[in-house]
Amino acid sequence: MSERDGVLPFPSADDDALVAARLASLYGNTRPVERAQIERCARAVLLEASQQSPRSWLAGVRYSRWMWSVAAAAVLIVVTLRGRPTTLLEPQGAVTRVDDGQAIRFDLRLPARAKAVAIVGDFNGWDERKTPMLKRSADGTWSARVALLPGRHVYAFVVDGDRWLVDPLAPQVPDSGYGPTNALVVEGATR
Amino acid sequence: MNPIVFTVLLSLHSIAAASRDTIPREGFQQIQFDASRFDSVTAFALRNLLDNAAGRGLPTGPLVSRALEGAARRASSDHILKVVRDHAAALAEARDALGVESRVNELDAGATAIRSGIPRAALRAIRASRPVGSVEMPLTVLTDIVQRGVPNTTAQDAVTSISRLPGSDEALQGLQITVAKNAIRGPGMAVDALNRYLRGTVQGIASPSTPATGDRKPIRPPAP
Repeated sequence: MSERDGVLPFPSADDDALVAARLASLYGNTRPVERAQIERCARAVLLEASQQSPRSWLAGVRYSRWMWSVAAAAVLIVVTLRGRPTTLLEPQGAVTRVDDGQAIRFDLRLPARAKAVAIVGDFNGWDERKTPMLKRSADGTWSARVALLPGRHVYAFVVDGDRWLVDPLAPQVPDSGYGPTNALVVEGATR
Repeated sequence: MNPIVFTVLLSLHSIAAASRDTIPREGFQQIQFDASRFDSVTAFALRNLLDNAAGRGLPTGPLVSRALEGAARRASSDHILKVVRDHAAALAEARDALGVESRVNELDAGATAIRSGIPRAALRAIRASRPVGSVEMPLTVLTDIVQRGVPNTTAQDAVTSISRLPGSDEALQGLQITVAKNAIRGPGMAVDALNRYLRGTVQGIASPSTPATGDRKPIRPPAP
């Protein structure tokens, strides 16, 4: 029998040293891969890929493969935003006592641009002209300072004269027939 | 000018200025009924409603506020009259539940609670938890957390438990913001957050209801 007939070319399977020497001699004769060879292969693969049709048909609609990426990104954005509605999609408000507790500063951060914002409530007769809010910074934060009596007050924000908003995290007064409002209790009230 | 006369005038001026700047410490914020914000028919009907309420011993400030809010929102005349009428009825119920000695702000908060579906028994329980102090904050928080999905009885138990503690308005504010933040995360999360907040706030209290979810994310109780 010769080596071509499939018989192992070694006297015995345990002859490790001989096996190692044979393998070393075989791979030692192999030429190292040349850079030009790799580049030729890469060009061939890219050429093959570019010649394939970029569009396919799915349910009668022509689409490109990049559309799958866009759809996946859109799903990711929606899932992410659903978990953070108050930080990105809704207004954020804050109430701070200022002037040694003699006044309250209302802050409202709006996710969208507004031209004018006012605060209305039982303290100003629900008149949006009486307490306009000032834009404090470019991030959409509006502020107003109001002197309030101790006790409970009901208020809301009016954006651009016609859109009524409430702070989603502040205490809310249920819709009393008009729409929701916020409530604030200023400390100091006693019976 | 004589220095003595000058000093006297300066003192009088300072006293007058100080009295102008002083903010009254009690009572409902003064709201004037501005008839010019309504048409003549609506203004007349509103005056009748206000006179009727005053005749029954009810405060008119909250009613004027509801009417002005309706005008600001450009609601129809019929709508405004209905809201004011309903609020007057709720004020009467709140007075029965909270007591005739209640302040106007307390009655307004109670009327709002009743209109949002909170039973009168809950108002009585809250008054009993604070026989001396103001119940404006407990009623405001109770109304808010029920609105956010906490069942009436669970909310009432939680608010009355905290209200009994001395100086508990801050703890009630903490309860409100905890429930508000967790209610956004999904149904049941508000109740779960309320139970954990309550255990952290009122020492040794039994949970008013079983946890709504298995989520164990910690809720930070207020600093003792």
